[in-house]
Amino acid sequence: MTVLDQEMIANVLRPIEVANGLPNAFYTDPDVYQAEKRVLFASTWACAGFAKDVPNKGDANPISFLGQPLLVVRGEGGEVKVFQNVCRHRGMILVEEKTTLRSAIRCPYHSWCYNLDGSLRTTPHVGGPGQNLHDCIKREELGLIEVRSHIFMDTIFVNLDGKAPAFEIHAAKLLEQWTEFADKPLYHGGPESSFTLEVDCNWKLAVENYCESYHLPWIHPGLNSYSRLEDHYHIMQPGNYSGQGTVVYNPKLDDSGRAFADFEGLSDKWDTGAEYISFYPNVLLGVHRDHVFAIMLDPQDNGKTIERIEIYYTSPEMCGDDMVDLREKNAAMWKSVFEEDIFVVEGMQRGRSASLYDGGKFSPVMDPPTHQFHEWVATRFAGK
Amino acid sequence: MTEEERLQRDMLQAHEQNDLAALPPLYLAAARLRESQDEIDAACFFYTHAYVYALDCGDREVADSARSRLKSHGRDK
Repeated sequence: MTVLDQEMIANVLRPIEVANGLPNAFYTDPDVYQAEKRVLFASTWACAGFAKDVPNKGDANPISFLGQPLLVVRGEGGEVKVFQNVCRHRGMILVEEKTTLRSAIRCPYHSWCYNLDGSLRTTPHVGGPGQNLHDCIKREELGLIEVRSHIFMDTIFVNLDGKAPAFEIHAAKLLEQWTEFADKPLYHGGPESSFTLEVDCNWKLAVENYCESYHLPWIHPGLNSYSRLEDHYHIMQPGNYSGQGTVVYNPKLDDSGRAFADFEGLSDKWDTGAEYISFYPNVLLGVHRDHVFAIMLDPQDNGKTIERIEIYYTSPEMCGDDMVDLREKNAAMWKSVFEEDIFVVEGMQRGRSASLYDGGKFSPVMDPPTHQFHEWVATRFAGK
Repeated sequence: MTEEERLQRDMLQAHEQNDLAALPPLYLAAARLRESQDEIDAACFFYTHAYVYALDCGDREVADSARSRLKSHGRDK
């Protein structure tokens, strides 16, 4: 097991003017990555997927998150639950592929059956042939192992160790920051509003790149025409999230003037405002008056991350066939922006193999959102 | 061919063809046949399979019927 250099971690926690970034091991060391699963993911609320992937009653979506087999199920009443995707009998994987369950989850091994709410329905032949009961098999104690979950902006958050504060407490500041969006129904744009990017970098580099605006004029020069560096501001909530906002959001997807409808009831701030937040650990969110998006960073190992991007609109009408061209343009625009970032995050990943690199020097003016994220990581590893 | 042989043949065929929806009524029929012969263990074996496959494919009628017989024999709840 790697022993992290506590002095280097302490350096991260110093004031930004004299701090260094996280040491290389946080990006290159498989042991640190394994530790992060517990320290940075399991102990808090992390994004494991999207509710849009189980739209109908009985829909079941098996996922692998941080190496754990999970099963997302939409139950009889429409509620979404997350279970560990294993039978309580022999630990067999229950569901291998996305499916719609009729009325039970049947283990493919010995056919123990679970209701969609996870309760154990029947245990065939458990007491011998034709005898499905046994005093030692207490069904009420043998339901599927449920993982604490909460859906916010269609994003499924899970707390794998079950010990984090309630999501409403964990996300209280974000809910306050985006109170105007928090209760808005969202409508996924459909297949063209969903795409993934596979990037050869540690997941944290994607967080860091997303939460700062410093790079925008250099990496996304196309944005300069309507979103200059000076039109952005930092968003900071220590220990929780950081990001950036713009005051000149002005989408022009169609020369004829067609546009997506706005969310109802937004304040004037959002006429030209948009905000982009890295919600620690692994969700990147963006809100605009006419659409929102969520990006799940799905770490594959210490140097590989899958970014899952989902775009949502304000009403079912915006998701209809007559708007498909605009949705395609919007998705293409965002995909182009996110692809422009790939060489940066992959370059920083390769840079982390420079053995004498000290974690980096922050700009006290432009890098506070990035430093705050590093502080969050370092603090959790320092046990504070 | 006896009724039991016909049911066995049809069950095997349904399994081979992965015809899940055909299984619950076939197992239910086999269970009832054994129950009528007072072979309760064998009947409950087949009722169990009828119940499980009915749950799997959403055949509520067979599921309810099989479960009811299993309960009455003290084999499920």
